[in-house]
Amino acid sequence: MADEVGANLAGLESVWDGSMSDTYAFFRHQARPEIALAATLVESAVALQDLGRTAPAPPRLLLGDLCLARASRLLADTHDTELQVAFAEAVECVAAEAAGGPPARALRELLVAAILGHR
Amino acid sequence: MISARRLDVPTSRATEFVDITARLQDMISAAGLREGRLHLQSLHTTLGLTVNENEPLLLGDLQAMLERVAPRANKYEHDNLARRSGVVPGEPPNGHAHCRHLLLQPGCTLLVEAGRLVLGRWQSVFAVELDGPRNRQLALHMEGDFAGVAEGPAHDRPDRELVELELARQLLVDPEPVRGPMRRLVEAGGKRLRPLLAMLSSRLGAHDDPLRAAALAAAIELLHHASLVHDDYVDQAATRRGRPTVAAREGAARAVAVGDYYFAKATRMIAQLGNPEVSSTIADAVETICLSQMDDVRLRGMYPGDYATYLRVVRGKTAALFAAACKAGAQLGAAPIGVVDRLQRFGDLLGIAFQMADDLLDYSVSSGKPLGQDIRSRTVSLPLIYATEDVRHGARVRELLAGPLEDRHVQEVLELVEASGVLERVGEEARGVVAAALREIEELTLDGVGPQLADLANSTIDRVR
Repeated sequence: MADEVGANLAGLESVWDGSMSDTYAFFRHQARPEIALAATLVESAVALQDLGRTAPAPPRLLLGDLCLARASRLLADTHDTELQVAFAEAVECVAAEAAGGPPARALRELLVAAILGHR
Repeated sequence: MISARRLDVPTSRATEFVDITARLQDMISAAGLREGRLHLQSLHTTLGLTVNENEPLLLGDLQAMLERVAPRANKYEHDNLARRSGVVPGEPPNGHAHCRHLLLQPGCTLLVEAGRLVLGRWQSVFAVELDGPRNRQLALHMEGDFAGVAEGPAHDRPDRELVELELARQLLVDPEPVRGPMRRLVEAGGKRLRPLLAMLSSRLGAHDDPLRAAALAAAIELLHHASLVHDDYVDQAATRRGRPTVAAREGAARAVAVGDYYFAKATRMIAQLGNPEVSSTIADAVETICLSQMDDVRLRGMYPGDYATYLRVVRGKTAALFAAACKAGAQLGAAPIGVVDRLQRFGDLLGIAFQMADDLLDYSVSSGKPLGQDIRSRTVSLPLIYATEDVRHGARVRELLAGPLEDRHVQEVLELVEASGVLERVGEEARGVVAAALREIEELTLDGVGPQLADLANSTIDRVR
């Protein structure tokens, strides 16, 4: 499965070797590889950054930022505006909640909804 | 024309000299005041203003003098609350602070020429806290000729105002826990270089649409600020533009969430423009920035590095967003590919020049940036790279940088860098890079935005003396 997305994992190999491949397997059932990987990267970013809990160590924060950036680039490459907007809104919801804002649905639920809305 | 503003000045000690020079300059640049006067007025009876030298020992002398003139331990009738009327609950005993205020000014006027505060080499502007810590505020009036007004109909599109309005509009709808910290950061000032580059670049094509350009420009500024929020946490910086960083004020966990929120929001705003080229340009830039930030942190073990390393990190960390702002703006305006490429190179060079100028602020007492911060955080910086190569002082600089960096070590490095003359060399180099940037666009038909692009280019290094 790593072969399918390998070119997009530069700098993130250590995260893929952790839990990312399992997450990818879940999303791969819902979407084509690049979108499944984008969803996986968003989930990984939130986990790496411990969003809403404790502050991560700087290297984990930066790795999380790279996950979000890579996901954003993968989504931009799809040229699907609505998909990009739906993914961004999912991150906005969980980040706002993490900062003390209104409660959000679970991230995975938001991402699946974003994907299903566009399949 | 008069433009009114307020400047928040949070203080952290009972008596404190807060250098506000850089923030005032930023406000002048942001307002576009070219020739005129800046009037400042304290809105408090125990916060004064003065212009003096920002030298730590001198500030200690001034503080000691204030203490001698009106010792805190003395008795003051003002503090006898039982005898006074109209006492506000919780009013502190501060007769000493009012007496000390007699030695300071409640207001002052500063001249502005060519968009710069007219100050002598050693002059800095201070708000002087006499009864802190408190959240203070100054009233500002800027009076004179403003860039947008003075340049006539061809140049008077209020790009800056559009960007500010769009930023305010976008922030208005966000949940307070993320909006508050971002609003404070955005309102702290800044030149808005990246958004203005995007605005101007968008005019160089067939689809000039100021409102869409303002949306792109505001999104780029929010991306930039989101990145600063995370950067400040990584660098453990306590202040930015004289104010506490989001991490310092709100806690690191919230800072992470605020950065993520505005990263996502900015990418959404850009996606909603419906221009795939623009989305890809910004997405590529953000990825480059993230990779360079990781690179930068990794390189702190090989501090201070060499010129090639410096250029690679700066191109990624700083110049990538300048270049993307120019490129995306031109793409949004549907400029020809040749123009897009030229503007991208123009932005890349401006970003490099900007970072060189920013490096020099580490050695400037009036910059608003804590002295020696880059040295303490072991951030790759051009003056340090050159100082390590200096024949007279290089060996000692290398020796100091290889060891623990306590205050006295940082002070010695600062002195050696100054003595080696590399600050002038970096300043010259920054000016040369701006000149190269301007050469990139000199052959383009700039549809009336040439002077503004040149102004913006020069303003990337206007902090270089």
